[in-house]
Amino acid sequence: MDYTWHFQIVWDYRMVFVRGAIMTAQITFWATLIGLVFGLPLGLMRRSRILLLRAPAATIIELFRSTPALVQLVWIYYALPILTGLQMSNTVSVSIGLGLHAAAYFAEIFRAGINSISRGQWDAALATGMTYTQAMRRIILPQAVRRMVPPFINEFASLIKLTTLGSALAVYELLHEANNLINNTYRPLEIYTVLALAFAALIFPIIYASQLLEQRWRVRQ
Amino acid sequence: MKPVMISARNVQKSFGATQVLKGIDLDVVKGEVLAIIGPSGSGKSTFLRCMNFLEEYDGGEIRFDDRLVGYRKNTNGKLVKDSAVHVAAIRARMGMVFQSFNLFPHMSVLDNVIEGPMIVQRRKREDAVRQAKGLLDRVGLSTKIDAFPETLSGGQQQRAAIARALAMNPEVMLFDEPTSALDPELVGEVLDVMRSLASDGMTMIVVTHEMAFARDVADRVMMMDHGKSVEIGPPRDIFTNPSHARTEEFLQRVLQRAAPAPLKNPEGVL
Ligand SMILES: Nc1ncnc2c1ncn2[C@@H]1O[C@H](COP(=O)(O)OP(=O)(O)O)[C@@H](O)[C@H]1O
Ligand SMILES: [Mg+2]
Repeated sequence: MDYTWHFQIVWDYRMVFVRGAIMTAQITFWATLIGLVFGLPLGLMRRSRILLLRAPAATIIELFRSTPALVQLVWIYYALPILTGLQMSNTVSVSIGLGLHAAAYFAEIFRAGINSISRGQWDAALATGMTYTQAMRRIILPQAVRRMVPPFINEFASLIKLTTLGSALAVYELLHEANNLINNTYRPLEIYTVLALAFAALIFPIIYASQLLEQRWRVRQ
Repeated sequence: MKPVMISARNVQKSFGATQVLKGIDLDVVKGEVLAIIGPSGSGKSTFLRCMNFLEEYDGGEIRFDDRLVGYRKNTNGKLVKDSAVHVAAIRARMGMVFQSFNLFPHMSVLDNVIEGPMIVQRRKREDAVRQAKGLLDRVGLSTKIDAFPETLSGGQQQRAAIARALAMNPEVMLFDEPTSALDPELVGEVLDVMRSLASDGMTMIVVTHEMAFARDVADRVMMMDHGKSVEIGPPRDIFTNPSHARTEEFLQRVLQRAAPAPLKNPEGVL
């Protein structure tokens, strides 16, 4: 095969990648925030002994986990305005849609992490006179969070990659910027190669940081 | 008459369809040391955990310092579950020590001990630290203040757990087989701490298989079997002259395990 690579073109358009990466990072940031804010209560509700809390949480979580994220985004962007009159911009729709999608997965991570803490820890905390909230905040969560970090990083990395679904709603994230560039330059191979590297550059530091964190906790405990 | 600290009346508890506590009565007075013995599965832990409502009993009543534990009468005079805050407030006045220690692994020994005083009693840190250091000294752990639980031996962990419970200035201490998870050579150091607590007048309820401890330290021994209190009385009566065949069988079994020599003179073996 004698294909001649022309990475010069990519370099000429580097600002397009930077712009796309910033948008990707922004969507990831908001989606993660939404995911955490809704994921923790959802996970706690699903552990509840009260059916009225447990059932809706389980329904929402399984609904978001069992349907494609793309369908969720399209639905929020196109169907929600028809039903509620609430029209959000494409960027906001993607951030919220991915945020709720992430919340479902984060909720399961929270739930599994909390459940992994032995009953003896609850016994000791409650026997001291702590309330449920105090025990959760001071004793259970600090231990559970350490166990949640690896699966959380997995979900986070997958969330970053899911932002490419934004291109379906014409959000100017990395993939959409890259596709536009391909239409102008007819250099798909170079551009997709750099696109892959751009995602790796976003995700790798996070994985690395989580490994450092895990090591530190192993040493300290 | 010494005041009654804990009283149980016809306490019942079922897990699903199986009833594991079948109506237990008990009065423990201030300063008393009660040992609870009995075969495994007889409901000793469940009964002890009902006293601070870690386990919800579903019949009868338990009172601590004359307050109903876990339930209250509503305006119609019907018994309903008490609020979580009330239950927590009662628990804060009782200390509990577990077979598996249950120290908080993400905290140093000192932080384990000051956690309750600071979070539950909202005491000042310096005040809690001062008391914690005194308690850790008392249980022989003054050199382990900054250690993390997993670096300690089982005996050290259990002594730290006792200090943690004492830091709340409890009026009653509940022990659930505090030495059963320990290597034999570490049992003594924990029993010594408990002995000194007892001689200081602490009210203690101790579920244990350490018959020598029960005989020497307890004011009374209660024998449980199949969710019932089979008999209760001074250790001398229970160990040398049990009035029930069940108790006699159980003691034979336990003492044979502890001392393989034939039991000509049970008192001597104890
Ligand atoms: N959380 C629980 N769920 C179901 N059964 C239980 C539970 N805890 C204890 N049991 C059962 O209750 C009975 C009494 O247990 P326990 O109080 O732990 O006995 P002991 O402490 O005397 O060994 C046992 O048959 C045990 O299997
Ligand atoms: Mg037990």
